Amino acid sequence: MHRLFLLPTLLINVVVILIPACLTIALAFFNWDGMSTPHFIGFGNFVMLWNDRIFWRALENNIIWTGIFLTIPIAMGLLAATMLLVARRGGTFFQVIYFLPVVIATVITARIWQGMIYSPVTGVFGYLQNLGLPLVNPLSKPSMALYGVATVDLWHWWGFLCVIFFAALRQVPQEQIEAARIEGATFWQMMRYVLLPGIRPTIILMMIMTVIWSFLVFDFVYILTQGGPAFSSEVLSTLAYRKAFYDLNVGQAAAASIIISLFGLVATYFYIRVQSKEGEQ
Amino acid sequence: MNKTAWILSGTATALVLMAPLAMAQDKAPVTWWYEQASPENQANLQTLLVDPFNAANAGDELSIDYRGSELDKQLRVAMLSGDGPDVVYTPGPAYVAAMAGAGQLLPLDDFAASLGWKDRLLPVFLDLGTYDGHLYALPKTYETLGLFYNKTFFAENGWTPPTTIPELEALADQMLAAGIVPFAAGNADWRPTNEHYVSIILNSIAGPDNVAKALRGEIPWTSEPFVKAVDTLNAWWQKGYFGPDYFSLTGEQAFAQLATGAAGMAPTGTWNFENVNTYFPPANAEPGFVGFPSGEGVPNPIYALGIGSTFSIAATSENPDGAAAVIDYVFSNEFYGAMNTVWQGEWNMPLRDLSGVTLGEGVLPLYGEAMGALASAVNANQYGYTTWTFFPPATDSYIVSGIEEVWLGSITTQDFLTQLDATFQQELSEGKVPTIPPRG
Repeated sequence: MHRLFLLPTLLINVVVILIPACLTIALAFFNWDGMSTPHFIGFGNFVMLWNDRIFWRALENNIIWTGIFLTIPIAMGLLAATMLLVARRGGTFFQVIYFLPVVIATVITARIWQGMIYSPVTGVFGYLQNLGLPLVNPLSKPSMALYGVATVDLWHWWGFLCVIFFAALRQVPQEQIEAARIEGATFWQMMRYVLLPGIRPTIILMMIMTVIWSFLVFDFVYILTQGGPAFSSEVLSTLAYRKAFYDLNVGQAAAASIIISLFGLVATYFYIRVQSKEGEQ
Repeated sequence: MNKTAWILSGTATALVLMAPLAMAQDKAPVTWWYEQASPENQANLQTLLVDPFNAANAGDELSIDYRGSELDKQLRVAMLSGDGPDVVYTPGPAYVAAMAGAGQLLPLDDFAASLGWKDRLLPVFLDLGTYDGHLYALPKTYETLGLFYNKTFFAENGWTPPTTIPELEALADQMLAAGIVPFAAGNADWRPTNEHYVSIILNSIAGPDNVAKALRGEIPWTSEPFVKAVDTLNAWWQKGYFGPDYFSLTGEQAFAQLATGAAGMAPTGTWNFENVNTYFPPANAEPGFVGFPSGEGVPNPIYALGIGSTFSIAATSENPDGAAAVIDYVFSNEFYGAMNTVWQGEWNMPLRDLSGVTLGEGVLPLYGEAMGALASAVNANQYGYTTWTFFPPATDSYIVSGIEEVWLGSITTQDFLTQLDATFQQELSEGKVPTIPPRG
């Protein structure tokens, strides 16, 4: 009887996830413009992606993006969360400040950065340029565009990690922290030997989720650069979107989506392994 | 009041209350999904189209649903499921071919005959909406690319609008030397702005005859005239004609630079007429608009023809007559005059004869002149082909990003044209190239 409780969520998952996922997998083997009758072409879409230099550029950008998000926001989040734990006053205030960008809509955040910060006409960068500082809009330079977009996403994202880490740090037994203090541990020793080991499962979980989310990244890239200039900030999801909705090549878009999902699946495997290990403990 | 009286009065009241409902039910709904429009322009559509249409057509009830900038994606999904609107508003002929091929659209031949569209509209547009021998679409608006300039600023500097490419380059070089950005241009808000310049050089340097041949598959895109055209565009980029902030400026910010004199000329589309009154009067400047200068052996001016969006009727429509009546209303002289008085650049319906159209006071005479010149040029077959109207989807999409790669040195002109040609030939073989009307 208790298994009936699974039914509603199972039904939603089948309708919203499983059926579209199966259709996407099937479409990856067809040539389809999204309107007329699909034609089966076997692995043709995958072969075309393999030979598409933009696909490799997009994959490389996704890997760079993952590297950035596995390090910078996690380091920032950990540092700020530890400071919140150590500093006894103003913790709530700083938590709100750090978390605020997370709740602002993506489009608004992106437009603020594009128009009010990076723009050489209406932004802070333009003002500083007029003062003689040699600043350029990173979104306009192929060598910097991906990092320019990542900066915006970092600003929006790291506060979330900070709050998650802070919540985890508060679960670290107070006796361990007090003992370390009495023993004369420095801030870094406290981090290295007490706090980080104490929240290790949370950090690993966040890192696995970061890998999954990094391969799904779309919104900030699409709003700020649409993958440009000259494909320099193209990622797999913008490539799939362009294939589906601009090139009218839904088959190749589906093939690209499957490749995105493969990276997610690998990360999910590790996530489930970590979860089950924790369960065993 | 006895029981019978209660029943009678109750029935009478119910009938009175239900009368408007019954009348509304008699009216057959006509649905139309529109893209994004400002609140002001939504009000214009309500007062100039919806209200008068519904008043004039007792049997139909038109409603417009504003779907935003992602309309084409929503429309494709809805059409696929047979649940789209009656009036199908596509982003261009390339989409019409695919939708017609999939049986999602109703042939309009009978409506065109009974409503006289063939006599009232420019013939080239009827050819463009034809697929497999049947008419499936009519353009809502057509547009062209040309050269906006600041008449006041030009007069102060003793400049005249260029008519040849050497004249254009000489003038642009003078502007560069004077610290003026030659081309007011920016793609920060609309990356496909890139293809405006590709369309210009393909038609004004390689020439529309060559473009037509390539679109029919008679010559490859790697042919010499196209190499020369793309090389010229790249040379302009490398010399700095597009300014240092092309990737940072929005189209409107760039156009504003033209009014202030920060930029010298704007090679852009007629849709920018809607920005003229916002920026030129405050800067005490007078705008000018001419056809883009032509290269050697190409007549001047060549107006590259663009169709921003088209009208069709869904094959599943329950009120095709009502949908045809809406389209017919849009193609009336009265609606053309009224709409272009309040909203210029977006409602240039392809009427064959504009002499019966009256634009309201306050409309820039330049706008009427430009639209008249464009209609005459199209009627005389002196027109070119914009990439977003005549090129198949993947080729068009590649042009937008590929030309950036040329500008930024990632690939050469030859690489760009080779990939463009490969993509085009693939789509040509799949029947995705829109109909290319015969040239006069």
